[in-house]
Amino acid sequence: MERYQDALRVPVSRRRFLWLTGITAGVVSSGLLAACGSDDDGETPPSTGSDATPTTGASTGGDATATPGDTADTTPAAEAPTSPSGEGEGAPGGELIVAATQDGYRTEPNRANVGQYPLNTNIFETLVRLTPDYQVEPVLAESWEFVEPNTWRFLLREGVTFHDGTPFTAEAVQWSMGRIAAVGGGQLGVDETSVEIVDDFTVAITPSRTNLRVIQQISHPSNSIVAPDTEPAEIRVGTGPFMEVEYLPEDRYVVEANPDYWGDAPQLSQITFRFIPDPTTRVLALQSGEVDLVVEVPRESARDLTSMDGLSLVTSKVGAYEALYVNIHGEEPYDLGQEKAVREAVAYGIDKDSIVNGVWQGNAEISNTMIPPAILGDAGDIITGTTFDPDRARQILEDAGWVEGSGGVREKDGRQLKLTMIVGFPNAEIHTPMPEFVQAQLADIGIEMDIVQTPDTAIYEARLQTGEGDLWAEAGSQNDGNPCFLPDLLFYSPDPEGDPESMAYGNAFAPGAAFDAHIDDCRAAVTTEEVQDAAAEAMKVLVDDEFVVIPLAGTFRLYGVSAKVQGFEAHPSGVNQRWASVSVDEG
Amino acid sequence: MTRYLIRRLVYLIPIWLGISFVAFSLANLTPGDPARLMLQRDLGRQPTAEEVSSVRDTMHLDDPFILRYVRWLENAVTGDLGTSYRTGEPVLSGLAQRFPSTLQIAGLGLALAIVIALPLGIMAALWRNSAIDHLSRVLALLGASMPSYWVAYLLILLFAVKLNMLPVAGKGGWQHLILPSVTLGLGACASLMRLTRSEMLEVLGQDYIRTSRAKGLASWAVVVRHGLRNALIPVTTVVGMRFAGLLGGAVIVETIFAWPGIGKFVLDSIFDRDYPVIQGFVVFMGTIFLLVNLVVDMSYAWLDPRIRLSR
Repeated sequence: MERYQDALRVPVSRRRFLWLTGITAGVVSSGLLAACGSDDDGETPPSTGSDATPTTGASTGGDATATPGDTADTTPAAEAPTSPSGEGEGAPGGELIVAATQDGYRTEPNRANVGQYPLNTNIFETLVRLTPDYQVEPVLAESWEFVEPNTWRFLLREGVTFHDGTPFTAEAVQWSMGRIAAVGGGQLGVDETSVEIVDDFTVAITPSRTNLRVIQQISHPSNSIVAPDTEPAEIRVGTGPFMEVEYLPEDRYVVEANPDYWGDAPQLSQITFRFIPDPTTRVLALQSGEVDLVVEVPRESARDLTSMDGLSLVTSKVGAYEALYVNIHGEEPYDLGQEKAVREAVAYGIDKDSIVNGVWQGNAEISNTMIPPAILGDAGDIITGTTFDPDRARQILEDAGWVEGSGGVREKDGRQLKLTMIVGFPNAEIHTPMPEFVQAQLADIGIEMDIVQTPDTAIYEARLQTGEGDLWAEAGSQNDGNPCFLPDLLFYSPDPEGDPESMAYGNAFAPGAAFDAHIDDCRAAVTTEEVQDAAAEAMKVLVDDEFVVIPLAGTFRLYGVSAKVQGFEAHPSGVNQRWASVSVDEG
Repeated sequence: MTRYLIRRLVYLIPIWLGISFVAFSLANLTPGDPARLMLQRDLGRQPTAEEVSSVRDTMHLDDPFILRYVRWLENAVTGDLGTSYRTGEPVLSGLAQRFPSTLQIAGLGLALAIVIALPLGIMAALWRNSAIDHLSRVLALLGASMPSYWVAYLLILLFAVKLNMLPVAGKGGWQHLILPSVTLGLGACASLMRLTRSEMLEVLGQDYIRTSRAKGLASWAVVVRHGLRNALIPVTTVVGMRFAGLLGGAVIVETIFAWPGIGKFVLDSIFDRDYPVIQGFVVFMGTIFLLVNLVVDMSYAWLDPRIRLSR
């Protein structure tokens, strides 16, 4: 100790020491900053579209007519969604900066979906698209018809050009579908022979397998039409209202107004999409004024946002869901879900209202299905769902022989009523803190529940393959117009000859023949009404009859928007978001 | 010196092989089939058995483990670390493209840590139990106890939202570097500061320091030339390890600040079971660790000529 005391008496003046360290710090810092500062290439490039003016080129957008079908004509488009270019519109102006989520594009040839999905920059367009009510409306196809047994014939819009000046014709459709065929055919199930060019503005698409849902599926932006002989991995040439300026992977995507757009002229001269993966950072960027609009505001931040000056929250209609799936084919100790009374009691024991309004602050709504109500239309009315009724839940369990045991946990034949909830799809954080709320509510009716969070989707699915869990918390969204997509994907009885890993959902959740029959009807249905009826019947089996699915809420998409942003309308399917009608009030 | 350097570089080979084998094994043992994950994303539905089988065949995922490792190794020695399942880009170029961004914030963060920690640590030792010692102790406590994501949000709130002095996130001019670098630097600063203080206290109590002063050396020369230089050996070791750690562990900071570095790239690859990228990253960062360690070892001889590297 003495030695230290001695050392402390070293007579170095503080002023001299600070001077030395200050000089050192200054030299090191300025050197590093100078070195780093040379990398300035990430700055937003100057807009090249600010002085672009819309043309008044002819468009056939306003006079789309139905094509008479020689067979089962399904959904002719009577109206085009947009008016001819530039009608009643001023020159585009204003630049919008959007805080998007992470860069999720793929960039290898044929699989590349840059500009299309998941962030739809509106560079590309599809043959048809989804309205916010999940109905199909014409875009590059003016009308369509179904030709028995498995062909969809599209009449294409004339007078449309790609951003490089190439006219849009049937060749572009063939080229674009060919890209999809090259990587397995996608959801459409197309192969290299699927597209027949009837004439320059008529194509017939015949999937390689029977698929009557083409018209609903083809609205997905992954089925965008790209210019012939171009590959989005290298260059993005579409027909949309915006054209690419630059794409800096994982950093930003800049697009500018297409002056020759065939539809309503875009109101903005430029949009910069900045990839900001962290949701809190996105909101902070909006607060600081660094961005004008934020996608996917965390539900827990929504209330804070609405209390800030100059900012508002814009919500979409329901386009996503939060639900619990019950493992009805599990083996001990995960076999309690096999008992219908347990599933029914869980369904009645969960207070959805407190979850929607308490946990998610009203930024969701109670839903009886896991698919957006709009997509089912009136057919969805047959699904009644369950309402919170703890007394009824307790009675159901009593009647089934589950009596209250030690610690308030029910028992039957010496076995406690203990369930395990697995949380991890698409990630665990998105469900927070719903599992804890459900845990407390189920404890109130005598069910003990453990919560297991998985670190990622792959581990969640690996666990599902072994059936290790009773309740499975999932959040998902509906991005195409096919109401049977999710029920078919997740709950149809698995093919015993199929890939074991692909059967995980079916092995755990498939309710069996009654459900499968409705899905078969859905697959074979031609008209929209038939599809909706079949999908609603299938959902009724899942929710009301078998209690395999316990829908908790239909969720909104939440956007934080600066006051200067005008005309933004949130689409319930985020990947179908449109930007052409948005403007920025620079004043 | 040269022989020492060559020998150390030769030692890198078996270590590198060990790292690559462990990385390859761990990646393949983790649950999740990259073929299925890729198909699910592409098809938007559960893939059929044929589709999975076809893609697994293309990726050679059904080949014996050792055969795949040897094949990967053959390519790796020629600089080909494979192609990312997720993005389709060559792994080496993917890593090389993003590494400079991570290097920027890690380098600047460490420099800031050194610039703050060394003087404060030395002053805290020189004027023990003074106000500056207490201040350094508080700063070290804060730096060590606050998680980086929390520091990041606080810095953004203060400097970007309230004061509007710096950008919130993204990559651009030098201003974009400051907040992520400071966030990284603060964590490193705390331990360096305390280490510097304790080492300086140890060294300043040595006989040769008293002798230097007795010979009439200027006080700053005693502290800087004789005290600091001897105290720096353990500090240098920690600086080296910290630097390598910052390069490989900047994932959270890169995510919060939307900084397109190597950490974020690898994190996404882990979620998608993108084996080539995971493997490439581990080997790449392992090599960086080894090289940083080598540089640290070499610096010992410069700091203390009594250390003979050839031994």
